[in-house]
Order: sequence, then C-alpha cells, then structure tokens
Amino acid sequence: MASPIGRTYTSPPPVPTAPYGLDELDPSGPLFPDMRYDGSDFRAAPAPVYVDGEMISEASPVDAETHGYGLDDFLTLAAQNNPTIRQARLQISAQTAKALQAGLYPNPTLNYIGEQIGVDVEGDKDSPGEFQGMTMSQRFVTAGKLKLSREKYMRRAHVSEHLAMAQQFRVCNDVRIHFFKALAAREIVGLRKELLKTAEDGAVTARELYNQGQATRPDVRKSSIALQRARLDVLTAENHSREAFRRLVAITGVDLSEGVVSGDLMPQGEPISYQEAMSLVLTESPELAAARAKLAADRVTVRREQVEWVPDIVAEGGAGYNFDAKETVAAAGVSIQLPVFDRNQGTIRQAQLDYRRQQEEIRRTELMLGQQMANVYQQYLTALQIATEYDRVIIPEAELAYQELLESYKANRVDWPTVLDAQMEYFDSRLTRVQHLEQARTNEVLVRGYLLHGGLMAAPGPTPPGHIDAVAKPR
Amino acid sequence: MTSPEDRRKFLKVGSIAAATGFVGNLLGRNANAQEPMKHSDMRHQDNMPQPIGNPASRPEIPESVEVAAEYDGFSRFKPSRGLDPDSDYYIGKLVPGFRKASDGPAPFEAPDIPVLPYKMEGGVKVFELVSMAVQQEFHPGVKMNVYGYNGSMPGPTIEVTQGDRVRIVVTNELPEDTFVHWHGFELPVQYDGAATLTQNPIKPGKTKVFEFDIHEEGTFFYHSHVAMQEAFGQVGWFIVHPKKVFGPPVDRDFGLLFQNFHIPPTHTISDSWAMDWNWHTINGKSGPYTTPLVCKHGERVRVRLLNFAPMQHHPIHLHGHTFWVTGHEGARIPKSAWVPRNNELVGVAQASSFEFIANNPGDWIFHCHMIHHMMNHMVKQVGPRIRDDASVDQYLANLSSRPQVDASLGDKFATPGYPQKMLGMEMSDDFMKAIWSRKEVRGMRANYPMSVKGLMTVLRVLPDDLYELVMNSDQPVEKGAVFAEIVRRFGDPSAYEPAPKMMM
Ligand SMILES: [Cu+2]
Repeated sequence: MASPIGRTYTSPPPVPTAPYGLDELDPSGPLFPDMRYDGSDFRAAPAPVYVDGEMISEASPVDAETHGYGLDDFLTLAAQNNPTIRQARLQISAQTAKALQAGLYPNPTLNYIGEQIGVDVEGDKDSPGEFQGMTMSQRFVTAGKLKLSREKYMRRAHVSEHLAMAQQFRVCNDVRIHFFKALAAREIVGLRKELLKTAEDGAVTARELYNQGQATRPDVRKSSIALQRARLDVLTAENHSREAFRRLVAITGVDLSEGVVSGDLMPQGEPISYQEAMSLVLTESPELAAARAKLAADRVTVRREQVEWVPDIVAEGGAGYNFDAKETVAAAGVSIQLPVFDRNQGTIRQAQLDYRRQQEEIRRTELMLGQQMANVYQQYLTALQIATEYDRVIIPEAELAYQELLESYKANRVDWPTVLDAQMEYFDSRLTRVQHLEQARTNEVLVRGYLLHGGLMAAPGPTPPGHIDAVAKPR
Repeated sequence: MTSPEDRRKFLKVGSIAAATGFVGNLLGRNANAQEPMKHSDMRHQDNMPQPIGNPASRPEIPESVEVAAEYDGFSRFKPSRGLDPDSDYYIGKLVPGFRKASDGPAPFEAPDIPVLPYKMEGGVKVFELVSMAVQQEFHPGVKMNVYGYNGSMPGPTIEVTQGDRVRIVVTNELPEDTFVHWHGFELPVQYDGAATLTQNPIKPGKTKVFEFDIHEEGTFFYHSHVAMQEAFGQVGWFIVHPKKVFGPPVDRDFGLLFQNFHIPPTHTISDSWAMDWNWHTINGKSGPYTTPLVCKHGERVRVRLLNFAPMQHHPIHLHGHTFWVTGHEGARIPKSAWVPRNNELVGVAQASSFEFIANNPGDWIFHCHMIHHMMNHMVKQVGPRIRDDASVDQYLANLSSRPQVDASLGDKFATPGYPQKMLGMEMSDDFMKAIWSRKEVRGMRANYPMSVKGLMTVLRVLPDDLYELVMNSDQPVEKGAVFAEIVRRFGDPSAYEPAPKMMM
C-alpha cells in the first residue's frame, strides 16, 4: 500500500499543543489539554528560554492580586518621583546660585612688601631692606558690571523655570502616552484571547468537518496553523502589555510591582481643531517661553559685555618701615587698565550675535513646533476619524452581521465556518478600533501637551552649547 | 348528511350521536374489508391516548353508490394487490371511487393556492391575471420575496372544462416586461406568449388579452416566459377537466406544485441566477408548513404533481401505497399504458398524475426522494449544534465575548462520518403554533414537523369518523390522538410508541 491516506479512515492531524507560556497565562482555561487524536507526540511548542541556566518565565501574576491603577495615580507618582523633574528644579537653583556668585564684590588683597632687601648701608653691612610693610589693594568695579552679571544669571534662572515647566509636561505627557499604550495593550490582550477562542473553534470545526468528509487533511492542518498563530498573537500581546506597563512604571520613577491599568480609551472631550492646537502651542508652549526668556537674558548679556571694557579702579595703600630712613612710611597706588587695544569689542560682538541667534532660535522653535504639530495632528486626526467610524459604523455592523449569522445558523440556514468568519471579523474590527484609539489618545496628549515628550531624557540647561560660560567667575 | 357543513354542525351537536349514526350506517357489503379491532381486543394500552372518534366504526361505502369493497382480490379498505396483474382491478387500477361519474369531475384542490374566479361574458370565461411581485410565506414568519400573480405565488389556479372558450386579461404590474405562456395548449400562435418570437412584451402597467378555445383536457399551467421570472416563481395551474368524465371516477383531485429557490442565509430575495437551490416549496410552502392531503379511507385519489423547479428533477415517492401513473402534462395516458409505481421521476416542467385507492389508513409521507430536497437550505452540520453542552443561544447571549469551545470532540468522533443525522433547525414556539394551527394536521404525531421538511408533505388516509373529526369538527384533538386511533384500529396497539414530548 503506497499511502494509507484516502484508502481507509485516517484520523485528522492532532491539535498542536499550546506554545510555552500560554497555559500559565490563563490557568483557568487550559487549551486543548493533552489533546491526542492518534496518540502521536506532536511537539509544536517553541523551546523555553534559558538565561544563566534558569528558565525564564513570563508568567504574569493573577489579576485578582494586582491593583488597578488609574491615570491620576501614575501622574501623582511621576510628579513626586521622576528624577528629571527634580533635575529641572535643581537647574533653576543652580542658575540662581550662579547669579549670586556673579554679583559678589571682589575681595580686597592684602600684600606684604619688602623692597630693596640687602642694599648696602653704612658699615658695609646689608640692610634688611629699604621698605618692609603691608598694603591692602581693592578692585573697585565700575559701570554696574556685577549688577548686570547678576541680572543676567537671574534671567537664565528664569529660563530654567520655563524649562522645568517643559520637563514637567514631558513627564506628564509621557505618563499619559504610556498609560494609554498600556490600556490599549491590555484591551488588545482581551481581544486576542477572543480571537484565540475563535481559532480554537476553527480547529475543532475543521476536525468536525474532516470527520464528515467535508475538509481535507491540509484544511485541518491550516486550522492548526491558524490556531498556533492565534496563540502566538496572544503571547505577543501579553508580552507587549507587560512591556507597556513596565515602560509606564519606569517613567514614574518608582518601583511598582506588575499591575493593571484601568481607564477609558475613548477620548472624553471635544476633538481639537488644528487652529486651536497651533494657537495653543504658539501661545503657551514652555519651550517657546524658555526661548523668549533666553532672549531677555541674552539682551542683558550684551549690556554686560558692553560695560566690560570700562576699567575697574584698583587702589592700593598701606604702611611699612623704611630701614633707610628709619621711620615708618606709607604707601599708596592706583592702577587702571587703559582700554587701548582691548575694548572687549569681540565679545560684545559675539554677545550681540548670540542675541540675534536667539531671535532666530525663537523662530526656529516656532517652526519646529509647527512641523511637529503637522505630523502629530495628522496622526491624531486620522486615528480619531478611523476610531470614530469603527465605533459608529464598522463595529456595530460587524456585530450585527455576526448576530444575524448566529441567528441564521440557529435556523439552520448557514454553516458554522461562515459564522466563525463573521465572529473573527467582529473581534478583529474591535482590535483595530483599540489600535486606532491608542493612536488617537497618544497623539491627542501631544497635541494638547505642547508636543512635549521624552520624560526620561535629562532636563536641558538654559543655554545652548558654545556660550560664553568658560570664565572662572561667571559674568 | 352530504355537505361538509352539515356534518360539521352535526358533530358539534355531539360525538355520541354521531357515533351512533355511523354504527347504523355500517354496511354488510364490506365482508372482505379489513376487520377493525373487536371491542374486546381493545386493551387499553397504558401509553395510548384515550380512544377518539367512533372506535366501533367500520370502513363504509356510502349508500348512494354502487361500488364494491373488493374487486378481484383487491380490497379498497386494506393493503392488497389483487389476484391477476392483467385484471382491470389489479392494485386498484380501475376501482372506482365513491363519487359517481355523473356528478362530474371531482373538484381540483391545490392546498394553499387560491382559485382564479371568472366572469361569463357572451359564453366566454373571462379571467383577470395580474403579474406582480409577491411576498410568500415559505415557513411561518419566513416571508420570501418572489414574483407571482394576483398576490399569490404560485399564481391562482385557472380551472375550466374542455370545450370552454377563455379570455385571459393579463396586466403587468411588474416594473419590467413580461410574457405569459399557456403551457401545453394548442392555441393560435399569436397567443402562445413565447417571448418576442410570437408577440411583443407586456410592458409595465400594460394589459394584454389572450382569447382561445380549449379543446384539450388535462393538467396544464401558465408561466412567465422570461426565464428569471419563471425561476422567481411565476407559474400557476391551468386545469382542464374533460368534457366527458373519465372512468374510473376519482373522489379527490389534488394538485402539488413543486418549486425550488435559492435564497441566501438571512435573505428573503431568491437568486434566480443560482445554480443550486436551497429552498423547496410545494404550493408555495416548505415542509413542515406544507398542507397535508387529507382523504377518506377507501377513496380513489388523484394527485397531479407539477415540477416547476428551475433545473432539478424530482423522484417522487409515496409511502404506504402503490399508485398508477395515469397521465402526464400532455394528456391522459390510455389505460393500457398506465404504470404502477412507488416512485415517479418528474422532470422539470413535467406533470404526472398519480391515481390510487387510499386503502391503507395512516399518515403517509409524500416526498421527493432526493436527499437534499428533503430539507431546506442544507448546511454543513458542524458547530455548536453537534457539540455537547453548547448552544447558539450561549453565543447570542453575549456577543462581545464568545464561550470557550470544548475541544474534546468526544468518543463519538472515533466513528468516521459522524454525525450523519441532520440535527434540524430549532423551531420556535410561534413556528410550532403556526404549524399546528391548520386543521389538516390535527391529531398527527407530536414530532411530525421534525420529519417533514423541504419537498415533503403528508397524505392522510382517515376513516370517516376521524376524517370528520379532523376536517369538519371544532372538537379539540390531541397531538398524536388520530395516529394512535389508527394504530388501535388497524395496527398493533401493543407496539404503539408515543412521540417523545421533547419540543411540543
Ligand atoms: Cu427533488
């Protein structure tokens, strides 16, 4: 006999066993436990993953033991614990400290002077010196340089305040984005499980059909492939859900055990128009406010550099003993730097150019926000339009189609595989809705949150690189 | 008591009086008729319903006629063949009915199809036929969109007598052209109705008059001569009774018009382009909504059966009787060419006349023997229907999350081919109510609707008293009571099995 297939009854191919990890994920419903149709040992499970000799379990704790966290919980946690928010606040303090330093008056200098030591005196002996004494010198700062320096750094502190605000938005927006991602991922897990049940039914149905001569062995194998894919989709969704939760937790800056997020993916308020979104970001963006504040600081920088050439007066005075005259004498001196060659022309010019550069920086920031908004708003709008229509038309239609076919099946008018197709389409369209709601919500956060995100990037300082800062005493 | 109305009144007065009357009517001539059970034999089986009707009645021949209970070894009251295949009375071939030939032809009766009335105008029978879209209830509550005539699908029956002159005024209320063909008539060619070959279409809203003499007799029909309109239901009987009634006279002249449609799931519009056909109707209804043919024990019955399926032939099988094929749609067959059969293949657009003596009381299934025609919209029997502890209602109860499937197919699946039984549709209460609301089904076994599906109907052969009880009285009749009574009288009561009370 060349092949037993088709000669006599050959049992259908066995249902593949569940992939590693799937049965632990849902202890309440073991999938096809020990299914064997023909006693064969069908090993379809992917190999378990070992790290340092230990098997890695991706099993998540049972939902009942975990806490359901809402968005506000995460926002509160992040506001208190995210390090970048504290970083940003420390940057403000650092700038005010710099301002303090920049405005401090220079210290007086105490000099000991011994002059003409060893000059010959009568008796051919060396004198201890003509003059031995102490002087005190003091630099008198002119042209309000210190006041201007302090003002300059105070203004930079103001820039830092705006940047801290921006950082707060970065963190909160990131919390919101990852919260919605986690929420969507969780809902997708549920829908993937529904789709898995449908695939399981498909596998059973294929075997039922096989037993009536209405499906071939390849048909049955196809159902096994579909089943295994659906199982892998569940695993993927589970893994993704865990990833989303962990990323969310990372932004809050606290160690949080695995838990579940609870909330609503559907946007609550009215959709925002592009004009509203743009005017919001142009009037209220902390990034723009920081850039404008920086311009003010740069204006002061110019003023500060413009007075730099005004010479400070260094006066010196003191008393000592003149061993020649053998009497106590006084000493005095005044020095002043003559701005003959260096009138700080270059640095003034640099500061002026920096000032103009900052003007361009404001414009650049506006344009960059506009460009980002164009992209983010498009994604927000498209996702919202799609999600809304899925909600309004596609899912109700898919549900009705499914229901009508169920009723038709009940009336013996349509066969079960057709019902399964409709069921799959219904669950699949709900899946698509969630995916687009996720897109809509995450982009909405950016649209309303001045496009700020990246809550774990180090908080930026008030000055761009290459600025006049490399001076021992800040000025 | 001749008219049904009188009998009905009489029965309403009291069944005891009626019973007495029937006993008094017993004739001595049925010596060879099947002996009913003697009273002393009528053991009360625990599982049998109470006797109904007149248990003491015997098969009777009405006083007014001169017919015999037995002809050459053939009994009109019990299953029998006769003694000689060459005899005129072999299998009841020429055994006359109770009706006298002089009473004219038996009235033609096509259950569920109305008769088209006519007016006499100058010796011409004038019929008005309107071609239109129709909603037809194939099953209780299952209203399908088809085309028909005068609000009916199939169209109303035109009934005339050989030699009549007819004028048929056809109005087209369809939004498209139509033609009407008078199938089988040898009429003047311009009235033939063959699309455009012989005439122009009847435009929407327009009327066309057909007038011709009828020299034929037999089973004819009219139908649209537009193929898709035919497939969409446009057909009706055109019965021509012979001027001289043929012998032997029949007591019943039934008509069964078979059609097929393809109506997709959840839909009501038939796809007349389809190549397979999932709804099957007899006189516009599909089993179990088909109306049983009810006759009396000993009667001579004719059934004219027209197959107007678009493309499927039907092997028609009648249980419990052997019938003679006495005519096709063309003309009556000379008696020498009659054929006795249990199963007659009726091709598309063919009509066959079956004649037999109803000598075997009971509820006899009368059906097309094609497996796929013995049900409607046959679908693959997989899914919750064949699964233990699963029902569609569980799915309908919560659409957003489906129940987990039980993957253990069970030991039954160790049998290759399981399941083969059609695990039929779930019938709603309203459905059952409509099925049982018709007098023709009274007293049938409680699960009769489970078995009569698609191109199936039932021939009920009832003793006189039970016929009166079922057809002409208002007395309540329990499900299964008439069947049990027939078993009690003609069968083996000790082997009686009541229907399980599963769904009634
Ligand atoms: Cu058939």
